[in-house]
Amino acid sequence: MDIELTINGERTTVEAGSADDLATVLRQHGYIGVKCGCDGGTCGASKVFVDGEVRMACGMAAVDADGSEIQTVAALGTQNDLHPVQQAFVDNFAVQCGFCIPGMVIQAVALLDSNPDPTEREVREALDDNVCRCTGYQKPVEAVLDAAERMRGAQSVAADGGHSVTVSPNANESTRCCGGDCDE
Amino acid sequence: MSSDDEAPTADGGTASQSEAVEDRRSEEHPLEWDEPENNDKAPDERDSVSHRTEKYDDRKLVTGQAKYTADYEERYPDLAYAAVVRSDIPHGRVTDIDTSDAEAMDGVDAVLTPESDAVPDGKYTSAGQSYPEPSPWDMHVLNKHVRYIGDPIAAVAAEDRTTATAAVEAIEVSYEEYDYVTDPEAAFDENAPQLFEDVEVENEIVGHDYDRNRMAHIGGELGDVAAALDGETHVHETEWETIRQSHANVEKHTSLAYTNEDDRHVLITSTQVPNHTRRQLAHLFDIPIRDIRVQKPRVGGGFGGKQAMVVEPIPLALSLATDRPVLYEASREEEFYAMRSRHPMKVKAKTAVTDEGDIVAIDIYALSNTGAYGSHGMTVAGNVGSKPLPLYSKVPNARFEADIVHTNTPQTGAMRGYGAPQGTLALEGHLDEVARDLGLDPIEFRRRHHMEVGDLDEIAGMMGGEGANRRIRSCGLDECIERGKDAIGYDDLEQPDEDHLHRGIGMALSAQGTGVAGDELGAAQIMMNEDGSFHLQVGGVDIGTGADTAFLQIAAEVLGCDEDDIIVKSADTDVTPFDYGAYASSTTYISGMAVKKAAEDAKARILHWGSKLLEEPVEELETGDGTVYSEASGDSVTLEDIGYEAAYGGDEREHILGKGTHCTEESPPPFAAQFADVTVDETTGEFEVQKLVVAVDCGVAINPGMAEGQIEGANHMSYEMAVSDGITLDDEGRAEIADFDEYGLPSATETPPIESILVETHEPTGPFGAKSVAEVPTNTVPPALSNAVRDAVGVRIREMPITADKIKTQLDERNS
Repeated sequence: MDIELTINGERTTVEAGSADDLATVLRQHGYIGVKCGCDGGTCGASKVFVDGEVRMACGMAAVDADGSEIQTVAALGTQNDLHPVQQAFVDNFAVQCGFCIPGMVIQAVALLDSNPDPTEREVREALDDNVCRCTGYQKPVEAVLDAAERMRGAQSVAADGGHSVTVSPNANESTRCCGGDCDE
Repeated sequence: MSSDDEAPTADGGTASQSEAVEDRRSEEHPLEWDEPENNDKAPDERDSVSHRTEKYDDRKLVTGQAKYTADYEERYPDLAYAAVVRSDIPHGRVTDIDTSDAEAMDGVDAVLTPESDAVPDGKYTSAGQSYPEPSPWDMHVLNKHVRYIGDPIAAVAAEDRTTATAAVEAIEVSYEEYDYVTDPEAAFDENAPQLFEDVEVENEIVGHDYDRNRMAHIGGELGDVAAALDGETHVHETEWETIRQSHANVEKHTSLAYTNEDDRHVLITSTQVPNHTRRQLAHLFDIPIRDIRVQKPRVGGGFGGKQAMVVEPIPLALSLATDRPVLYEASREEEFYAMRSRHPMKVKAKTAVTDEGDIVAIDIYALSNTGAYGSHGMTVAGNVGSKPLPLYSKVPNARFEADIVHTNTPQTGAMRGYGAPQGTLALEGHLDEVARDLGLDPIEFRRRHHMEVGDLDEIAGMMGGEGANRRIRSCGLDECIERGKDAIGYDDLEQPDEDHLHRGIGMALSAQGTGVAGDELGAAQIMMNEDGSFHLQVGGVDIGTGADTAFLQIAAEVLGCDEDDIIVKSADTDVTPFDYGAYASSTTYISGMAVKKAAEDAKARILHWGSKLLEEPVEELETGDGTVYSEASGDSVTLEDIGYEAAYGGDEREHILGKGTHCTEESPPPFAAQFADVTVDETTGEFEVQKLVVAVDCGVAINPGMAEGQIEGANHMSYEMAVSDGITLDDEGRAEIADFDEYGLPSATETPPIESILVETHEPTGPFGAKSVAEVPTNTVPPALSNAVRDAVGVRIREMPITADKIKTQLDERNS
């Protein structure tokens, strides 16, 4: 059946079978930032925002997303203009193989949206269903705490290419979506 | 279990002979070493090396743009998807495969069985090692004789994943079932079911005895251990057991095969060993090596699980049969039962110690369960002794032996640490217990015996012959211990207020290697563009560790340019020079040195052109900040000017190219000191690890940020080995684990804080003083935590994982 999705600000109609999960459908349309590390909801790599809520796309039927607004990691920032969470992951060496990182970044952004000043324990709890085999969580946790500090301070985040972006103190929907200019 | 007399032993020799040997060894292994050029820069003099340079692919990774193998799907509109029929019995012979229903299904392109033309019937090993592999050729791509629940029998290619899976389920396999054995000690028995006949294996390994399911027996001795154990000493013996650990790489084993417009067979594949895979596929499929291209895109973790040709033959066979590109992505469940795991082992440690606390002999014996096939079996078991034992190079008598046996259980293989974690648990747990029994401080006890700079490490040569003895040129063990002690608060430990809670600290040392001595090769080349930028082509394989970034930093340091002015292309066998692959902690040391040599080769030509343009002798010139400059005159010329001049100016035009190849007899050990802080509840056995501290001497850290990440990740993996069940099997050898939740990888809340400490030394044989970092902290948490529990409540857990139940049981036994 055809389903209507707004993906990273772009409205589109996609075909999805009743057995298709959302991750597969998104990946088929080129949204490769949605990763599949397990076969259903146990690794967190496929996390996306569905109508503002974090969901594991591999554990959700695509047809259930009909009419939804979806944001993948590519909606958060571009290589030249990273979201502060993405920038903090880079600056803290929290990325090794990177396969789990899109899901981690999505989860971290969601956490900081609702809790701009988390404790280390709260960060660990938020990342509890994101499996990372490379870094062992120490640096991702440090990255999220660092991102929280940067976002609270509305600190100007360095980005390459001469661009920089100032993040609002209250990270909200606007920091999560580029408003249709995403180029994934 | 006793071992037989096949082990090669060292000749003790007479005193005069020993002196002569000592002299010759000094000549062959001099302490003094010609420092490679540029190695001796102080950290603050380095422009690129020793800096926390941003990992070059990170921006692509954090924005989800980076491409892993499965992400190439969209490039091939006619892509077919593979799925595999696997044995559901532990041991037997396939008598019939009914593929008719599967073949009749819409969307099924091919069904392959062991009899199909496209399926090679030759024997091979999946171990991605040098040639000929030090692993037996005992496998087939598809099998009639199945030896574990998971052995591949048939393969399907279909229009989509769902159809491929449905076709697999529609295939009926009939078996003649055989008796099976899953316990390694039982498998060793003469009357146990036999997995292999001799004729079923090529490239057999030393000490094999297939009548007793023994794949190999290895060993070596230094001095006379038996005599030392019979002397006037305290003799201690302990036995240890380790888990069947999964690599749990988040990206599953994935491989895409097709034949390109030049009739060449291309594999885009998630591998640590592109060149070994190319060679192995060529032999197996009888295709010239030149007609196979192996491309490694971003890899989502390997940890040794992809130092093997695990899945590649399946999509290649299916693409040959269908004339379509074929993608095979293992399922997460297959990852646990049909890919690879760490060898579970039982390891015995025995020592002879004098009243004064001198260790006069160490004797280690390992029984390794290699599972149904022998990939990496002998070499992993060898490292149980050869990696940890050299820590105590001052001990005069040492022996190591290992038996590697087959059982009808899932396949094992290479995994980060590669035998050293099993050996380190046994040795470091054992020595800790001996020290406590003798009333000695466990740390001081180790300090009396551990390796130092200048030591001739004869234990390293124990199994490889005298030529494998090595001189230790860098060793930061003492500083690792001191800084680790400070960070964990060893000397001012406070006990909890509650009487039933007890806090303890355990420590363990570790050594690893850096590459395989005498058996490694890396190569690189650098092309200069006319704008002064460079293309670096290197066979070294980045599997997520940041190796590409380390290569850039090394090249930039030599060339005197910014890392951004170099494009790196690594591990594509059509484009990049030869390399053995990412394993044995070799990448920065071996491939990195090849990069350094290539950059130095290019730099020589750059200085030649700088000399022409500046009209000053080469000897006066140096590179830096994107220029060639003369300190004498203060003049400089940009690399861009040199690039244009070399390409377009003068009669002696040239394309500035640099090439470098590196192989070595060296394998300098990195060192680590691990500390674990644990609180145990003596009423329940429950324990909480407050903190892990690990201090690592990796020589010079090319990128300290990346090195810390490697250390913390390795320590997390090591912690898992100490507290998780691993892959548990039922009585038939069937994996009881299907997903991450069941596997029990410690999550973010279940993992204690890990503090990594970099202890900088200078390894003169490595690029800019570097040796390895990624494996040594994988070895140490199981013994440190076992030692910490012993310190806290006085009981000793020797069988991993360490659980509250085991602690409680021992406390109850002690108190009754």
